[in-house]
Amino acid sequence: MVDLLALFVPHFVMAIAVWRLVSRDDLDDDPALPRKPARHDADKTP
Amino acid sequence: MTNLALTAFVFAFFLAGFRRPFLLVLAYAYIDIVSPQKIGWGPLGSLSISLVAFVLCVLMWAAREDKSGIRITSRQGLMVLLLIYCGITTIGADFPEEAAAKWDWVWKALVFACFLPLTLRTRLRIEAMVLIMVVGVATITIDGAVKTLLGGGGYGELKLLVDDNTGLYEGSIISTVAICTIPMAFWLASHGTIFRPSWMVRLFAIGVVFSAILMPVGTQARTGLICVGVLGVLKLRSTKRRALYLMMIGAGALIAVPLLPASFTERMGTISNHQSDQSASTRVAVWNWTMDFAKTHPFGGGFDAFLQDTISYDKVVTSSDGKNTPVGTEHILEHGRAYHSSYFEMLGEQGYPGLGLWLLLHILGVVQMERIRRRYNKNPPEHMEWISPLADALQQAQIVYLFGGAFVGIAFQPFCYMLVGLQCGLAAYVGRLDEAAAEARRIERLIRRPVVAPPPEPLIPVRHPNAAGPLLGDESVPVQPQPTRLIG
Repeated sequence: MVDLLALFVPHFVMAIAVWRLVSRDDLDDDPALPRKPARHDADKTP
Repeated sequence: MTNLALTAFVFAFFLAGFRRPFLLVLAYAYIDIVSPQKIGWGPLGSLSISLVAFVLCVLMWAAREDKSGIRITSRQGLMVLLLIYCGITTIGADFPEEAAAKWDWVWKALVFACFLPLTLRTRLRIEAMVLIMVVGVATITIDGAVKTLLGGGGYGELKLLVDDNTGLYEGSIISTVAICTIPMAFWLASHGTIFRPSWMVRLFAIGVVFSAILMPVGTQARTGLICVGVLGVLKLRSTKRRALYLMMIGAGALIAVPLLPASFTERMGTISNHQSDQSASTRVAVWNWTMDFAKTHPFGGGFDAFLQDTISYDKVVTSSDGKNTPVGTEHILEHGRAYHSSYFEMLGEQGYPGLGLWLLLHILGVVQMERIRRRYNKNPPEHMEWISPLADALQQAQIVYLFGGAFVGIAFQPFCYMLVGLQCGLAAYVGRLDEAAAEARRIERLIRRPVVAPPPEPLIPVRHPNAAGPLLGDESVPVQPQPTRLIG
């Protein structure tokens, strides 16, 4: 029972964290850093 | 049911990673810390799930991740050197089979630590990594803490989720690592964006910290108590209200000490009187053996070189008959005792070059975090208030590890290399911020530069193609307007 509780609580927290991370844009693009130009924009540059 | 749930959790983590590749890095960290394959059965137990996660996260990073602006820090270079050096000592190890078995997980820990900073490109990624490390360790400590409170603790008796006394499930190691996570948990509670600061987040963080502090009590690992003391001193520097902090520590100790089990206080008493304790006496004897071994093997004996040690020491024995307590000594002879110290582990296995590289790696980490901490401590730029406290937390975690590591062999513990990787990632992130700030300043200078009209070109008199005409630009001769001749 103790093992189950100890497993459930942190895994529940990690599951919510992963769920939230999936939909966060700033996971890949940091707002404090210059954005990488989009591929189609980069292709247009001579 | 538990096994099924754990398996589903791991595979859901992997699936999320196919959508956002960085999540596979977190999945690997989770597997390395919690070891769900040890807890569960079925696919997780039979599959080398850790290797699968590692290969997946590297492949996905290579295929889909942005690699622009990657910064390689000097400490990553040191880890590569250490990896190569360990590989060489493994080839010539005194115990090839045992060395190969240890090398099998050491190389992964080192390669992942080198790789991790390349993926930590954003603040959110750094935070997510801290979160997985703290909550992953909390999976073990919450279990241990609840069992300790229910009276299930004791030296070598506390069962942590699995019947396996290796890795993070070993008493002294989990005690040290748990204390390392305390400053990181505090940072998450104050600066987190995945779980923004609220009463619930603070309550959970306090619970995690409490469970971590209970680990030395439950496992009765003296190393853990030393780590608690070191962290208590380090926190003095970062806390703003020192008097209140000291009062709280004093009040907490007054309440906690009478509640501690007698076996715990007796065992902690042997920290200052090691001669009456076999475990502590063994350590001192093994350390002496290692120093002698290094004289003849300056380049180390490879992984698990301790298997060839033979140590002898006199243990102080007291026996009371009610009136008298005679003190005697008992001669103990032992073979193949482990180092019980990360410093001696490095010295015995990797020799002086390995120990030097390892020390340099960690000392540079402490210095690097101190520089970042000081730089962003006062008047940090907008939205950068989190950097200094994180550098502080990572530095404290590392110092606790270095103190704890003096009494337990965790020189190659993967969690500690994740900590190093995290530090390298933070340093690289700060470097990218500097580059962005320098670029912004350059652009601003260009924009603000006043537009100056080009100076008029000097007028040089030249002869008009028509010889009869005046010199162009020669103002001394008034130009006669030509009469316009109308055609038609």
